Amino acid sequence: MKFRIDQLHAWAPGLNTDEAWQAWAHHPVRLPDNGEQPGCEFLPPMQRRRLSRLARMTMHAAWPLCGEQEQLPFVFASRHGETPRTFALLSEVADGQPLSPTQFGLSVHNAIAGQWSILRGQHGESVALAGEADTFEHAMVEAAALLGEGAPAVLVVIAEERPPSAYDGWIDDVPFSYAVALRVGGIDSNPAAPADQGWELCLEPQQGTSTTATWPHALDFVRALHGGEDRLEHAWKTRRWTWHRIR
Amino acid sequence: MNALQQDIAQLIIDTLNLEDVTVDDIPPDLPLFGEGLGLDSVDALELALALQKRYDIRIASDSKDARQHFTTVATLAAFVQAQQDACAS
Repeated sequence: MKFRIDQLHAWAPGLNTDEAWQAWAHHPVRLPDNGEQPGCEFLPPMQRRRLSRLARMTMHAAWPLCGEQEQLPFVFASRHGETPRTFALLSEVADGQPLSPTQFGLSVHNAIAGQWSILRGQHGESVALAGEADTFEHAMVEAAALLGEGAPAVLVVIAEERPPSAYDGWIDDVPFSYAVALRVGGIDSNPAAPADQGWELCLEPQQGTSTTATWPHALDFVRALHGGEDRLEHAWKTRRWTWHRIR
Repeated sequence: MNALQQDIAQLIIDTLNLEDVTVDDIPPDLPLFGEGLGLDSVDALELALALQKRYDIRIASDSKDARQHFTTVATLAAFVQAQQDACAS
Protein backbone atom coordinates (compact mmCIF):
# COMPACT_ATOMS: atom_id res chain seq x y z
CA MET A 1 0.00 0.00 0.00
CA LYS A 2 1.16 3.54 -0.72
CA PHE A 3 0.46 6.84 0.99
CA ARG A 4 2.02 10.16 1.85
CA ILE A 5 3.10 11.32 5.28
CA ASP A 6 2.10 14.96 4.97
CA GLN A 7 2.74 15.99 8.56
CA LEU A 8 4.28 14.58 11.70
CA HIS A 9 3.82 15.88 15.23
CA ALA A 10 5.12 13.89 18.15
CA TRP A 11 5.52 14.21 21.90
CA ALA A 12 7.63 12.44 24.49
CA PRO A 13 8.94 13.63 27.87
CA GLY A 14 11.33 16.48 27.08
CA LEU A 15 10.83 16.19 23.32
CA ASN A 16 8.51 19.01 22.38
CA THR A 17 10.00 20.50 19.25
CA ASP A 18 11.09 19.34 15.83
CA GLU A 19 14.69 20.17 16.74
CA ALA A 20 14.51 18.05 19.89
CA TRP A 21 13.13 15.10 17.88
CA GLN A 22 15.80 15.66 15.25
CA ALA A 23 18.46 15.39 17.94
CA TRP A 24 16.81 12.28 19.39
CA ALA A 25 16.60 10.71 15.92
CA HIS A 26 20.34 11.06 15.50
CA HIS A 27 21.12 9.77 18.98
CA PRO A 28 18.12 7.73 20.10
CA VAL A 29 18.21 7.17 23.84
CA ARG A 30 15.80 5.94 26.46
CA LEU A 31 14.32 9.15 27.85
CA PRO A 32 13.65 9.61 31.56
CA ASP A 33 9.88 9.52 32.10
CA ASN A 34 8.75 11.26 35.27
CA GLY A 35 5.10 11.52 34.40
CA GLU A 36 5.40 14.78 32.49
CA GLN A 37 2.41 15.60 30.32
CA PRO A 38 1.54 18.24 27.74
CA GLY A 39 -0.37 21.22 29.12
CA CYS A 40 -2.98 21.32 26.33
CA GLU A 41 -3.52 25.03 26.97
CA PHE A 42 -5.42 25.28 23.70
CA LEU A 43 -8.34 23.82 25.66
CA PRO A 44 -10.22 25.68 28.41
CA PRO A 45 -9.61 24.12 31.86
CA MET A 46 -13.16 22.77 32.12
CA GLN A 47 -12.54 20.76 28.95
CA ARG A 48 -9.20 19.45 30.18
CA ARG A 49 -10.56 18.01 33.42
CA ARG A 50 -11.26 14.52 32.08
CA LEU A 51 -8.20 14.17 29.90
CA SER A 52 -5.81 11.53 31.19
CA ARG A 53 -2.11 11.70 30.52
CA LEU A 54 -2.44 9.52 27.42
CA ALA A 55 -5.37 11.64 26.22
CA ARG A 56 -3.36 14.84 26.68
CA MET A 57 -0.45 13.34 24.76
CA THR A 58 -2.84 12.36 21.97
CA MET A 59 -4.58 15.75 21.84
CA HIS A 60 -1.27 17.61 21.90
CA ALA A 61 0.17 15.53 19.07
CA ALA A 62 -2.92 15.51 16.84
CA TRP A 63 -4.27 19.02 17.49
CA PRO A 64 -2.23 21.02 14.93
CA LEU A 65 -2.66 18.42 12.18
CA CYS A 66 -6.38 19.04 11.66
CA GLY A 67 -7.70 22.37 10.39
CA GLU A 68 -10.44 24.21 12.29
CA GLN A 69 -13.02 23.52 9.61
CA GLU A 70 -11.82 20.09 8.60
CA GLN A 71 -13.50 16.75 9.20
CA LEU A 72 -10.94 13.94 9.10
CA PRO A 73 -11.18 10.26 9.98
CA PHE A 74 -9.24 9.48 13.15
CA VAL A 75 -7.25 6.31 13.86
CA PHE A 76 -6.15 5.90 17.47
CA ALA A 77 -3.73 3.05 18.06
CA SER A 78 -2.22 1.88 21.31
CA ARG A 79 -1.01 -1.58 22.17
CA HIS A 80 -1.42 -1.19 25.90
CA GLY A 81 -3.89 1.68 26.30
CA GLU A 82 -4.30 3.42 29.63
CA THR A 83 -2.61 0.97 31.98
CA PRO A 84 -2.49 3.46 34.90
CA ARG A 85 -6.28 3.85 34.76
CA THR A 86 -6.84 0.11 34.47
CA PHE A 87 -4.51 -0.52 37.39
CA ALA A 88 -6.22 2.13 39.54
CA LEU A 89 -9.66 0.64 38.84
CA LEU A 90 -8.47 -2.91 39.54
CA SER A 91 -6.91 -1.69 42.78
CA GLU A 92 -10.25 -0.20 43.84
CA VAL A 93 -12.00 -3.49 43.01
CA ALA A 94 -9.39 -5.38 45.05
CA ASP A 95 -9.95 -3.03 48.00
CA GLY A 96 -13.72 -3.39 47.75
CA GLN A 97 -14.04 0.34 47.07
CA PRO A 98 -16.71 1.83 44.82
CA LEU A 99 -15.38 2.68 41.35
CA SER A 100 -15.06 6.26 40.21
CA PRO A 101 -17.82 6.86 37.63
CA THR A 102 -15.51 9.05 35.56
CA GLN A 103 -12.68 6.52 35.55
CA PHE A 104 -15.05 3.67 34.78
CA GLY A 105 -16.76 5.61 32.00
CA LEU A 106 -13.45 6.34 30.31
CA SER A 107 -12.01 2.86 30.72
CA VAL A 108 -12.60 1.74 27.15
CA HIS A 109 -10.01 1.71 24.39
CA ASN A 110 -11.92 4.16 22.22
CA ALA A 111 -12.46 6.75 24.98
CA ILE A 112 -9.67 8.99 23.69
CA ALA A 113 -11.00 8.81 20.12
CA GLY A 114 -14.37 9.83 21.59
CA GLN A 115 -12.82 12.76 23.46
CA TRP A 116 -11.09 13.88 20.24
CA SER A 117 -14.44 13.74 18.47
CA ILE A 118 -16.16 15.83 21.16
CA LEU A 119 -13.39 18.39 21.63
CA ARG A 120 -12.84 18.92 17.91
CA GLY A 121 -16.46 18.58 16.79
CA GLN A 122 -15.53 15.68 14.52
CA HIS A 123 -18.46 13.57 13.41
CA GLY A 124 -16.77 11.23 10.95
CA GLU A 125 -15.29 7.79 11.40
CA SER A 126 -12.92 7.00 14.21
CA VAL A 127 -11.16 3.74 14.91
CA ALA A 128 -9.41 2.54 18.07
CA LEU A 129 -6.91 -0.26 17.57
CA ALA A 130 -4.85 -2.43 19.88
CA GLY A 131 -2.46 -4.80 18.18
CA GLU A 132 0.87 -6.32 19.06
CA ALA A 133 4.32 -4.81 18.57
CA ASP A 134 3.28 -3.93 15.02
CA THR A 135 0.21 -1.95 16.13
CA PHE A 136 1.70 1.01 14.23
CA GLU A 137 1.66 -0.84 10.92
CA HIS A 138 -1.89 -2.05 11.52
CA ALA A 139 -2.93 1.57 12.10
CA MET A 140 -1.39 2.47 8.74
CA VAL A 141 -3.34 -0.34 7.07
CA GLU A 142 -6.47 1.20 8.56
CA ALA A 143 -5.47 4.64 7.28
CA ALA A 144 -4.80 3.24 3.80
CA ALA A 145 -8.23 1.61 3.84
CA LEU A 146 -9.90 4.91 4.82
CA LEU A 147 -8.00 6.71 2.05
CA GLY A 148 -9.15 3.99 -0.35
CA GLU A 149 -12.73 4.72 0.72
CA GLY A 150 -12.25 8.32 -0.38
CA ALA A 151 -11.09 10.17 2.74
CA PRO A 152 -9.08 13.28 1.73
CA ALA A 153 -6.63 12.61 4.57
CA VAL A 154 -6.52 10.54 7.75
CA LEU A 155 -5.16 11.38 11.19
CA VAL A 156 -3.26 8.54 12.82
CA VAL A 157 -2.09 8.68 16.43
CA ILE A 158 0.04 6.00 18.04
CA ALA A 159 0.26 6.59 21.77
CA GLU A 160 1.78 4.57 24.58
CA GLU A 161 2.25 5.35 28.23
CA ARG A 162 4.77 3.96 30.69
CA PRO A 163 2.82 1.38 32.69
CA PRO A 164 2.71 1.20 36.49
CA SER A 165 5.56 -0.86 37.96
CA ALA A 166 3.18 -3.77 38.58
CA TYR A 167 3.42 -4.44 34.84
CA ASP A 168 7.24 -4.77 34.92
CA GLY A 169 8.17 -8.01 33.25
CA TRP A 170 4.91 -8.06 31.29
CA ILE A 171 5.16 -4.89 29.24
CA ASP A 172 8.68 -4.35 27.92
CA ASP A 173 8.13 -2.32 24.76
CA VAL A 174 7.36 1.13 26.15
CA PRO A 175 10.79 2.61 26.93
CA PHE A 176 9.12 5.94 27.65
CA SER A 177 5.71 7.50 27.03
CA TYR A 178 5.18 8.84 23.54
CA ALA A 179 2.54 9.95 21.08
CA VAL A 180 3.16 10.12 17.35
CA ALA A 181 0.55 11.83 15.17
CA LEU A 182 0.66 11.57 11.40
CA ARG A 183 -1.44 13.25 8.80
CA VAL A 184 -1.63 10.70 6.01
CA GLY A 185 -2.72 11.49 2.46
CA GLY A 186 -3.34 9.46 -0.66
CA ILE A 187 -0.44 9.19 -3.05
CA ASP A 188 -2.22 10.86 -5.96
CA SER A 189 -4.37 13.38 -4.14
CA ASN A 190 -1.79 16.15 -3.99
CA PRO A 191 0.58 16.26 -6.97
CA ALA A 192 2.20 19.38 -5.54
CA ALA A 193 3.44 17.53 -2.46
CA PRO A 194 7.20 16.92 -2.24
CA ALA A 195 8.01 13.57 -3.80
CA ASP A 196 9.88 12.25 -0.77
CA GLN A 197 6.77 12.26 1.43
CA GLY A 198 5.55 9.09 -0.27
CA TRP A 199 5.98 5.71 1.36
CA GLU A 200 5.14 2.18 0.39
CA LEU A 201 4.38 -0.33 3.12
CA CYS A 202 4.49 -4.05 2.30
CA LEU A 203 3.61 -7.07 4.39
CA GLU A 204 5.23 -10.43 3.83
CA PRO A 205 5.21 -13.63 5.83
CA GLN A 206 8.06 -13.84 8.30
CA GLN A 207 10.02 -17.08 8.44
CA GLY A 208 12.07 -18.31 11.33
CA THR A 209 12.51 -16.58 14.62
CA SER A 210 10.88 -13.25 15.14
CA THR A 211 13.04 -10.23 15.72
CA THR A 212 11.85 -7.11 17.41
CA ALA A 213 13.06 -3.65 16.45
CA THR A 214 15.28 -1.76 18.89
CA TRP A 215 12.63 0.92 19.31
CA PRO A 216 8.84 0.75 19.14
CA HIS A 217 7.92 0.77 15.45
CA ALA A 218 6.29 4.22 15.48
CA LEU A 219 9.35 5.75 17.17
CA ASP A 220 11.63 3.95 14.75
CA PHE A 221 9.62 5.44 11.90
CA VAL A 222 9.99 8.94 13.39
CA ARG A 223 13.71 8.29 13.63
CA ALA A 224 13.81 7.25 9.95
CA LEU A 225 11.75 10.26 8.86
CA HIS A 226 14.10 12.69 10.60
CA GLY A 227 17.19 10.80 9.49
CA GLY A 228 16.14 10.76 5.86
CA GLU A 229 16.30 6.98 5.71
CA ASP A 230 14.68 5.27 2.75
CA ARG A 231 14.04 1.80 4.01
CA LEU A 232 12.89 0.17 7.24
CA GLU A 233 12.12 -3.38 8.17
CA HIS A 234 9.90 -4.24 11.13
CA ALA A 235 9.38 -7.91 11.83
CA TRP A 236 7.06 -9.32 14.43
CA LYS A 237 6.16 -12.99 14.82
CA THR A 238 4.85 -14.18 11.44
CA ARG A 239 4.77 -10.72 9.85
CA ARG A 240 7.51 -8.75 8.17
CA TRP A 241 6.68 -5.16 7.30
CA THR A 242 8.92 -3.24 4.97
CA TRP A 243 8.74 0.47 4.53
CA HIS A 244 10.36 2.26 1.65
CA ARG A 245 10.30 5.80 0.51
CA ILE A 246 8.90 6.44 -2.96
CA ARG A 247 10.87 9.12 -4.78
CA MET B 1 -18.06 31.03 53.48
CA ASN B 2 -18.01 28.76 56.54
CA ALA B 3 -15.44 26.00 57.09
CA LEU B 4 -17.66 23.20 55.76
CA GLN B 5 -18.52 25.18 52.64
CA GLN B 6 -14.86 25.86 52.06
CA ASP B 7 -14.07 22.20 52.54
CA ILE B 8 -16.71 21.16 50.03
CA ALA B 9 -15.54 23.71 47.46
CA GLN B 10 -12.02 22.30 47.76
CA LEU B 11 -13.37 18.75 47.48
CA ILE B 12 -15.10 19.72 44.23
CA ILE B 13 -11.88 21.15 42.82
CA ASP B 14 -9.77 18.13 43.81
CA THR B 15 -12.28 15.46 42.87
CA LEU B 16 -13.18 16.90 39.50
CA ASN B 17 -9.64 17.94 38.61
CA LEU B 18 -10.58 21.58 38.05
CA GLU B 19 -7.31 23.16 37.02
CA ASP B 20 -6.92 26.88 37.64
CA VAL B 21 -10.06 27.01 39.83
CA THR B 22 -9.74 28.14 43.45
CA VAL B 23 -12.14 28.00 46.37
CA ASP B 24 -12.80 31.71 45.87
CA ASP B 25 -14.08 30.95 42.36
CA ILE B 26 -16.89 28.84 43.83
CA PRO B 27 -18.96 31.13 46.08
CA PRO B 28 -21.56 29.26 48.19
CA ASP B 29 -24.49 30.37 46.04
CA LEU B 30 -22.96 29.77 42.60
CA PRO B 31 -25.01 27.17 40.67
CA LEU B 32 -22.74 24.14 40.24
CA PHE B 33 -24.42 22.67 37.17
CA GLY B 34 -25.18 24.11 33.77
CA GLU B 35 -24.75 27.87 33.78
CA GLY B 36 -22.51 28.70 36.69
CA LEU B 37 -19.58 26.40 37.35
CA GLY B 38 -20.59 24.23 34.38
CA LEU B 39 -20.53 20.74 35.90
CA ASP B 40 -22.46 17.88 34.28
CA SER B 41 -24.14 14.62 35.28
CA VAL B 42 -20.93 12.58 35.38
CA ASP B 43 -19.48 15.19 37.74
CA ALA B 44 -22.57 14.78 39.94
CA LEU B 45 -21.96 11.03 40.26
CA GLU B 46 -18.28 11.59 40.98
CA LEU B 47 -19.05 14.25 43.54
CA ALA B 48 -21.67 12.10 45.28
CA LEU B 49 -19.08 9.34 45.66
CA ALA B 50 -16.48 11.75 47.03
CA LEU B 51 -18.95 13.28 49.52
CA GLN B 52 -19.96 9.86 50.80
CA LYS B 53 -16.32 8.85 51.32
CA ARG B 54 -15.25 12.12 52.85
CA TYR B 55 -18.16 12.72 55.26
CA ASP B 56 -19.20 9.13 55.83
CA ILE B 57 -22.75 9.83 54.75
CA ARG B 58 -25.15 8.04 52.44
CA ILE B 59 -26.75 9.62 49.40
CA ALA B 60 -29.60 7.57 47.99
CA SER B 61 -29.23 7.64 44.22
CA ASP B 62 -32.99 7.63 43.69
CA SER B 63 -33.63 10.43 46.14
CA LYS B 64 -35.92 13.06 44.64
CA ASP B 65 -34.19 15.63 46.81
CA ALA B 66 -30.70 14.90 45.46
CA ARG B 67 -31.04 17.47 42.71
CA GLN B 68 -31.94 20.12 45.31
CA HIS B 69 -29.00 19.19 47.53
CA PHE B 70 -26.55 19.44 44.64
CA THR B 71 -27.58 22.93 43.52
CA THR B 72 -24.80 24.94 45.19
CA VAL B 73 -21.99 24.58 47.71
CA ALA B 74 -24.35 26.11 50.29
CA THR B 75 -27.08 23.49 49.71
CA LEU B 76 -24.50 20.69 49.74
CA ALA B 77 -23.05 21.95 53.02
CA ALA B 78 -26.53 22.12 54.57
CA PHE B 79 -27.24 18.59 53.38
CA VAL B 80 -23.94 17.18 54.71
CA GLN B 81 -24.53 18.96 58.04
CA ALA B 82 -28.06 17.55 58.32
CA GLN B 83 -26.84 14.02 57.53
CA GLN B 84 -24.06 14.25 60.10
CA ASP B 85 -26.41 15.65 62.73
CA ALA B 86 -28.89 12.85 62.03
CA CYS B 87 -26.17 10.23 62.47
CA ALA B 88 -24.88 11.83 65.66
CA SER B 89 -28.26 11.94 67.38
